[in-house]
Amino acid sequence: MMSMMRLLSIICILLLSLFWTDSSNAAAPISKIQNMLAKPPVLCGRFDQTKQLQGMKKPLASNGRFCVVNGKGILWRTLQPFPNTLRLTRDEIVHLQGERVAMRLDAQKEPTVRMINSVLFSLLSGDLGKLETLFEVDGSVDAASWKVALKAREAALAKAIGAISLDGGAYVKNIHIDEASGDRTTIIFSDIKTGETAMTAEELALFAQ
Amino acid sequence: MKKQHGWTKGLAITWTIVVCLLLAHNAYLWLGKRIAPDTDILALLPVQERDPVLQQSFAHMVDTAQQRVVVLIGANDWEQAKQAAATYQKVLASRSDLLTATNISDQAQSDWLAVFQKQSLGLLTAQQEQQLRTEPAQYWTDLALAKMYSAFSGPKLGSFQDDPFNLFSGWVQERAQETPVRPRDGYLFVADKEKQYVLLPLNLKPSAFSLTAQEAVVPLLGKAAEAALLATPSVEIISAGVVLHAAAAGQQAGGEVSTIGLGSLIGIILLMWLSFRSLKPITLILLSIGVGFLGALSVCWMLFGGIHLLTLVFGASLIGVAQDYGIYFLCNRLSAGASVDSPTLLKRLLPGLSLTLLAAVIGYLGLGLTPFPGLRHMAVFSALGLVFAWLTVICWFPQLIRAGSLKSGKLVARYSAALMHWPRLGLNPRSLVVLAIFAIATAIGCSRLGANDDIRLLQNSPKHLVADQIKLGKLLDAPTPVQYFLVRGGSAEIVLQREEALKRKLDSLIERHTISGYQALSNWIPSAQLQKQRHQLIDEKLLAEGGALSLLASKVEEDAAWAAAIRKHLLTLTASTSFDEFLKTSAGEPWRHLWLGKIGNEYASIVALRGLSYANNGLATLQQAGQGLDGVQWVDKVNEISSVLGRYRVYMGWVVSAAYLVVFVLLFPRYRRNAWRVLAPTLCASLVTLGLLGLAGQSLQLFHVLALMLLLGVGVDYGIFMQEHPDRRNATPWLAVGLSAANTLLSFGLLGLSRTPALQAFGLTMLIGTALVWLIVPCFTSTTESAHVAQT
Repeated sequence: MMSMMRLLSIICILLLSLFWTDSSNAAAPISKIQNMLAKPPVLCGRFDQTKQLQGMKKPLASNGRFCVVNGKGILWRTLQPFPNTLRLTRDEIVHLQGERVAMRLDAQKEPTVRMINSVLFSLLSGDLGKLETLFEVDGSVDAASWKVALKAREAALAKAIGAISLDGGAYVKNIHIDEASGDRTTIIFSDIKTGETAMTAEELALFAQ
Repeated sequence: MKKQHGWTKGLAITWTIVVCLLLAHNAYLWLGKRIAPDTDILALLPVQERDPVLQQSFAHMVDTAQQRVVVLIGANDWEQAKQAAATYQKVLASRSDLLTATNISDQAQSDWLAVFQKQSLGLLTAQQEQQLRTEPAQYWTDLALAKMYSAFSGPKLGSFQDDPFNLFSGWVQERAQETPVRPRDGYLFVADKEKQYVLLPLNLKPSAFSLTAQEAVVPLLGKAAEAALLATPSVEIISAGVVLHAAAAGQQAGGEVSTIGLGSLIGIILLMWLSFRSLKPITLILLSIGVGFLGALSVCWMLFGGIHLLTLVFGASLIGVAQDYGIYFLCNRLSAGASVDSPTLLKRLLPGLSLTLLAAVIGYLGLGLTPFPGLRHMAVFSALGLVFAWLTVICWFPQLIRAGSLKSGKLVARYSAALMHWPRLGLNPRSLVVLAIFAIATAIGCSRLGANDDIRLLQNSPKHLVADQIKLGKLLDAPTPVQYFLVRGGSAEIVLQREEALKRKLDSLIERHTISGYQALSNWIPSAQLQKQRHQLIDEKLLAEGGALSLLASKVEEDAAWAAAIRKHLLTLTASTSFDEFLKTSAGEPWRHLWLGKIGNEYASIVALRGLSYANNGLATLQQAGQGLDGVQWVDKVNEISSVLGRYRVYMGWVVSAAYLVVFVLLFPRYRRNAWRVLAPTLCASLVTLGLLGLAGQSLQLFHVLALMLLLGVGVDYGIFMQEHPDRRNATPWLAVGLSAANTLLSFGLLGLSRTPALQAFGLTMLIGTALVWLIVPCFTSTTESAHVAQT
């Protein structure tokens, strides 16, 4: 279940960067960052991920699209070089490899999925309290950009997900994850679109499934 | 005359000495040795059918389950459930000497993963193993690539090199699926569609069957539940445990003993008072029964070295027959008048009394011919009890009751007069019509009679406990402790190998939804043989040059050295964890009950089944699955106990039928052409009783048949009493029958009110049967004085 914790943290980060609305209870840098961020109901874009695994000469590059829909959930589609899709909704987390369901986790049965979803949907509705129970947030802000480092409050969780940092402006731009095993991951976001036309027909269908 | 008196006095004194010895022996048994009756129903099975390892396996399963109390606290909201659980636990903490909570921690979870990671090369799911044999290298390369590239490609344990093909994480996932229970916020969590539950596993410190434990635990749990409900009113609390059932059973039995027992005691005393205007008769009859019971117990203990509870229960029911001797004597004493002294009276009654005893003893000894030790014990116990009671009447009663010491009440006179108006059966149209109607109704009823040997006849837990148990079973997807496979072998390794052979068969039953899964130690620790096979399989298909790993290397533009390094690393993950080591870890704790260890010369383990479906002949399918596998045995405790009950029912049925024949043969020399008149009322009453049970929609069970056996003993007495004096002007036998039958109805008929199905069946049969015999026995008396009366 540790890997699920890692997943959780990444999702939180995504949401953190995209959907902060209420700043009254948040710490000072967070409130400033929140003011900077846009808060669209639908947001899609491209990501480019680079993974440097321990013991490998070359980094592994992949890219794809992601969508965040308020009230519905998140779609994370790797398109290159191997297509696979991760979909998080209120009831479940589904991992699709092509057409095949590689993994399906039921929120009703798995408390971790429940936790992920509860954090996810409270963030979608603008409630920061849940995130702060899991992470210590440390950051710096200047006129047009910001930088934040997250540290899990629980030791076991911190060990599992490693150190996470992210930066951006109106939208999050980069995420860096350093794991204890030496593996490093960088995700760069670009080509961000909002509004009803942001999702492709294919993505709409994936959500409807 | 004087000589005769001296003779009976001597007899009385001798018997007094015997009774004193009995009392001393009983005092020694109960107070000195503190004997307790045997309660294991399997002790009633024929000896050669019992298997020590099998019995130990069951005891092992039961012992583990016995001391456990499981509480589920559920709410729509997890926070509420946690809050209620905390309140609940606080109350329990006040009695840590009684109940202790099982500790859980998240730390323990990552610890056990580390243990298995070291041997992860030998750990595969059945599906993975299948895929390794059938899927091409490309499939595994794609899988590894997807995992490499994805930011979050599902469960990931350790670094990429530790598990490039997701085999270990698949195995871990499968292990997690063995239970729906998950750690969450320092509690154990489980949920259904509506509610989220905190699971509190508790250990009971004193034995579940100790009365003091039952008396303390139930109120404690009640208090805790009350506090939790007060703190969060919407919370649902489900609790289960053997101790709760035991406490409920004790409470019910206690309640029934006080209502039924008291009711029948008051009834009998009142009846005796109204009949004899004295309590002396009832004291005397209780005396004869008491001596009979103690004597039977003493001799049985000396013969068998132990006694089963069921023997005692059935034996105690003999009171119904044992009282007849005393009542017969007392009724005759009442009507004989002062001119006849007691020893003379006894001499006159002796042939009839002897015959009643002989008939009953021979009937019961028929039970001794069956191969079941339980029935044999019952036979000896019953026969001895009757002999002792009979001897008490013969030796003591003439001394204790003098001529003219009894007076009859008004009730006796009125009751006796009723005999004159009783219809008599004869070769006339009216009798034949009545007979025909009865015969048809009985035939219809009997044809509707099914059989039922369900184990639930023996215990009857309150509905809410059963409902809680069922809900808990569903939520936890827990295996049943009464149906499982027992696996044995000469060494632990062989046991594991045999488990694996069994599991391959069970896997196909999972696909067919006969079971949802199984728990076996080999799921966690595969046999060394299988681990070796898997190492080879993985090396050959994935790691060797030209395999999936080489392909992967070329895809990510790495050289052969990279693949070789990963292969080398993976091949070191072949540590072997010993059984004992595993069972000591926190991961092994929940599975300890599956390992029986070394018993005699062999090792044994249990493969437990989850989500057993009884539909589509599930049990038979499982039984078949175990067939033909070495050292594998299907154990179905429910079925086994039911089959013991069923076989006892059938045997008992034959014994009853044979007893009728034997009794008839015995009666024939004395009653000749009228012998059938003695037996017919009981036979008719038994058949009509069966017919009525059938019409009422009841199914025949062992306890109906046991009651029919007792009914034979009782009914033959009534037949003999009536046939000894067929002249209706003498109402004495009619009085004896009436008193005896009324007592039997009050003592056994009231058992029909019991909520325990077995006792109810017994009581109901006795109630209908005895009442019928009583009512019809005068109809069968002959109109002419028979030959034997002239002889006496």
